[in-house]
Amino acid sequence: MFGVGVGVRVGGRTIVSSGGGFDPDAQAFFDRVTTAGGTLTTTEKNATNQLVLDMKSAGIWSSMKAVYPMVGASAAACAQNLKSSSFTGTFTSGWTFASTGVTPNGTSAYFNTNVKNNTNLTDRASHWSAYFRTLGNDGFNGYYSAAAGAVFGVQPKDNTNKIAVGLNNLAASGVTSAAGFLIGSVNSSTNAKLYLNNSLVLTNSTTQSLAGYSLDFYLGALNSTGTPIIYGTQQSVFLSLGDNLTDTQASNFYTAVQAFQTTLSRQV
Amino acid sequence: MIGYTLTPDQYTQVQGQYYTEYQFFNCVLSIDNVWFLFLSDEDKTEVATTEYAWVLDLPEAEYIPPPPPPFPPVE
Repeated sequence: MFGVGVGVRVGGRTIVSSGGGFDPDAQAFFDRVTTAGGTLTTTEKNATNQLVLDMKSAGIWSSMKAVYPMVGASAAACAQNLKSSSFTGTFTSGWTFASTGVTPNGTSAYFNTNVKNNTNLTDRASHWSAYFRTLGNDGFNGYYSAAAGAVFGVQPKDNTNKIAVGLNNLAASGVTSAAGFLIGSVNSSTNAKLYLNNSLVLTNSTTQSLAGYSLDFYLGALNSTGTPIIYGTQQSVFLSLGDNLTDTQASNFYTAVQAFQTTLSRQV
Repeated sequence: MIGYTLTPDQYTQVQGQYYTEYQFFNCVLSIDNVWFLFLSDEDKTEVATTEYAWVLDLPEAEYIPPPPPPFPPVE
């Protein structure tokens, strides 16, 4: 049973009082966390609830397949998908969990979202996003098909301090690495875009089909056709997978996620 | 980096096994083909209450990774 909250429109965002009236999808997430044995603070609940409201208000909630807000400072809480009860993730050994995010050890740790490219995402019409508080080493995130010669994911910092990105391809972006919110959106066979902290920083005109491969999206390592490689040490505070996003949706997504991280005092 | 070392039999016993509902062991090979297991402090607390608590008594050693796996240069 849900309580009644008071909603007030402020600057385009609906701010809901913390009187117990959470959005039903947010409340369902809180219930999943509790059932899993995790706990959330009041601040984390309010921030997550506002994130859901902002994403719905911006029309991007329906584009999401999996959203991991990485709250609760435990594997049980951070493994839960905010969007639905599907795609509950699993962590390997070697992670540390804190209110400031989740951090892999760079040697053996990765997070399996259990989101598969060929059955859960639309080929060349999908996005990934990840918010990194630290750049760490040169770890990669996502999945890679050697046969297709293509990656769907990101290396926030390569050995030249640039972002290497996979938008159903594999390309050096030429973009200097920076902590914060990265969104990769593959929009078609001839268009893919990379956004960094609310700026469009790269547009690719060639993408490969990955429809013929079954690959789970990893955080903390790259899923190379079932084998984790290129382990990372980046501290993460958000991850999402879903449909491709327009420029406007990507901007609104950044605004919502940045507000979420700011409320939790872990924004970049 | 220091980690626990495992024999092939010990590796077989733990690799991929869940020690909580949402966490499983992942071991990696060193440059000299020895299996290593790395556990965070949180992992150790969880593992200590499971049937796999014996891994906390395994010998520890310095891990040297093997050469990186094949991966195309990003150009």
